[in-house]
Amino acid sequence: MRVLVVEDELRLAANIVAGLREAGFAVDHAADGIEGFDYAEQNLFDLIVLDLMLPGRDGLSVLRAIRLRGIHTPVLILTAQEGKSSIVELLNSGADDYLAKPFDLGELIARVKALIRRSKGTSSPVLQVADLSIDTVRQTVSRGGEDIDLSPTEYRILEYLAHRPRAVVSKKELLEHLYDYDWEHHSNVVEAHVSNLRRKLTVKETEPIIETLRHRGYRLREGGEP
Amino acid sequence: MTSSASITKRLTLAVLLLEFVAALVLIATVFNHERHVQFTVFMTNLRASASALFGALQEADSNDANIALDTRGLSLPPRAIYSVSDSIEGVLGTQGQVPLITAAPGTFTESKVGGRAYLFYVLTGERAIDPGKPFAVIHHVRIVFGLPIGRVWHEIIEAVRFFAIATIVLLGITAWLLTWLIRRFLLPIWQLAVEADNINTDNWVFNAPASSKRFVELRPLASAIETSVLRLQHSFEKQRRFTSDAAHELKTDLAIVKSSLQLLQMKRRTVEEYEHGLSLGLNDIGRLEATVQKMLTLARLEQTPKNDAQTCDLTEAVYEAISQSQPFAEIKQVPVMHDLQVRDAIVPVGKEDAILLCSNVLVNALQHSPLHGRVDVTMALNAGSISLQVRDQGEGIKQEDQPFLFDAFYRGDESRSRKTGGTGLGLSICKAICDRSGGSISIANHPGGGAIVEITLPAVRKDHAEGRST
Repeated sequence: MRVLVVEDELRLAANIVAGLREAGFAVDHAADGIEGFDYAEQNLFDLIVLDLMLPGRDGLSVLRAIRLRGIHTPVLILTAQEGKSSIVELLNSGADDYLAKPFDLGELIARVKALIRRSKGTSSPVLQVADLSIDTVRQTVSRGGEDIDLSPTEYRILEYLAHRPRAVVSKKELLEHLYDYDWEHHSNVVEAHVSNLRRKLTVKETEPIIETLRHRGYRLREGGEP
Repeated sequence: MTSSASITKRLTLAVLLLEFVAALVLIATVFNHERHVQFTVFMTNLRASASALFGALQEADSNDANIALDTRGLSLPPRAIYSVSDSIEGVLGTQGQVPLITAAPGTFTESKVGGRAYLFYVLTGERAIDPGKPFAVIHHVRIVFGLPIGRVWHEIIEAVRFFAIATIVLLGITAWLLTWLIRRFLLPIWQLAVEADNINTDNWVFNAPASSKRFVELRPLASAIETSVLRLQHSFEKQRRFTSDAAHELKTDLAIVKSSLQLLQMKRRTVEEYEHGLSLGLNDIGRLEATVQKMLTLARLEQTPKNDAQTCDLTEAVYEAISQSQPFAEIKQVPVMHDLQVRDAIVPVGKEDAILLCSNVLVNALQHSPLHGRVDVTMALNAGSISLQVRDQGEGIKQEDQPFLFDAFYRGDESRSRKTGGTGLGLSICKAICDRSGGSISIANHPGGGAIVEITLPAVRKDHAEGRST
């Protein structure tokens, strides 16, 4: 999952970015409202963490502009302002959630996860695809009751696919959602990770659960199907 | 215990009292005048009646040259008493009990008859029988004529009573009319009060009612309320903005500290990671501390009494500030050029505050200086004041920022944001220091480029300063 953090306070942004990366997200950072909007406009993110008081363009205006463009990425607002009226205005302007500063970093990460889950159409923290079970909180995977040890990148690929079972996810989409701009990446890195993942998931002579569709991408099979 | 007084009652009472006094004076005047008139009439009447009696003396029918009183056809006032006597014949006629009056003729005498007060007039005259003849007889007639005075007093009292009753009726009508009128006149004050009562911290709108603006006496009150409401609103809003900005600032700093530590807590880390994280966290706390320190400085400057009578030499403070900001100037490679030719630049500012003022302005100038720029500090002594100018070679100030430069937490543009390390309190502190000592501070763009800060402080005479210097 890829998250955009728009926060002008650099020390705070650094902490949020580090926390989210440790929680397994690909994170990009924008330091002002104008840059933030430019990033968000590309519609590559699974969630946007948006500060309200920003130089250049304030958070509320960025939020409204994003929604006006028809971008439905969940937005979590960070605010240090008091008052219920501004919260109502925020939610009415298209925000999905908000956190008041000084917030809890753990709570921020939990809310980010919950918002992403909900936006993908599920509210349970445990994703079930056929006999595959993915715990998005503990970031563990088991198949047929047997735990499978995955690298962080493999886990992220699997979680992204599991959020969209039976849909074809292109290699480009995977790249966009799993890596931030800070990473040097190539498509064959993804191929290597997917092949490792497929190998690890094939336990006890079961069928490979990840399909590769030539020139189209990858698909997570949901039991029984060819 | 507070007693409430009513303007309506007081005004009414005052007017009624005045009117009552006027009525008393009027009644006294009427009484005097009436008494004078009535007595004049009464006395004239007495005199006339006595003369009439004298006229009624006729030659008697007998041939003995006697005279007799013939009162037929004579209309005398009722209850009149008189006695007519003749030196020759004695009493010619009486009516009523006339006391013995020995007064000189032509005078009035008061005397009591049967318990009633009477006024008597004594008339003497000569009556000649057969005048011009040798046997003419001259009768010396003395007439004492009296009338009861009670009638006069009755007339006077009647007149006074009429005026008294009229006055009481008038007082009543005045009281009623006055109450009504005063209520009417005071209505605009009521309306003003009702409007003023609507002012509160959520509603700072005060529209003086039209009625209060119509009256010359109320106009100053209405406009005074208007201006004080505006002033109050301004300072309240300023206070509210400060509180909200301060909260915002502190929360942001707290959020940084908190998230730094929570990041460390997320998983087990190596000793190096902990060390790095802790030193970052300490830096974050340092900044929080600096923000709090500046807020406290500002609060102290704005709250403590102004007459603490501290003075210092501004030149020394400038030198101290320059040496304090030397490391920063070296990093930016901006030389600080100074021309401080004023001797004994004693200003009514405590030494620490003066250094704080100078170094804030200096650091501000350095922050806005481009690399390899320069900052010029000059000082001048004007009539009774000392001015300090600090000029940088930066981009100058934007027109739209001008009104807010000294507002707490105001950061003009991105370059002034927290990234540069400023809390947005430096200039506010400078302004508070200048205001407290009766000086001023202003920022303008220098015609030759860059911004120029001008501080003007009142000069303290040296001999004066030595006495109080702390």
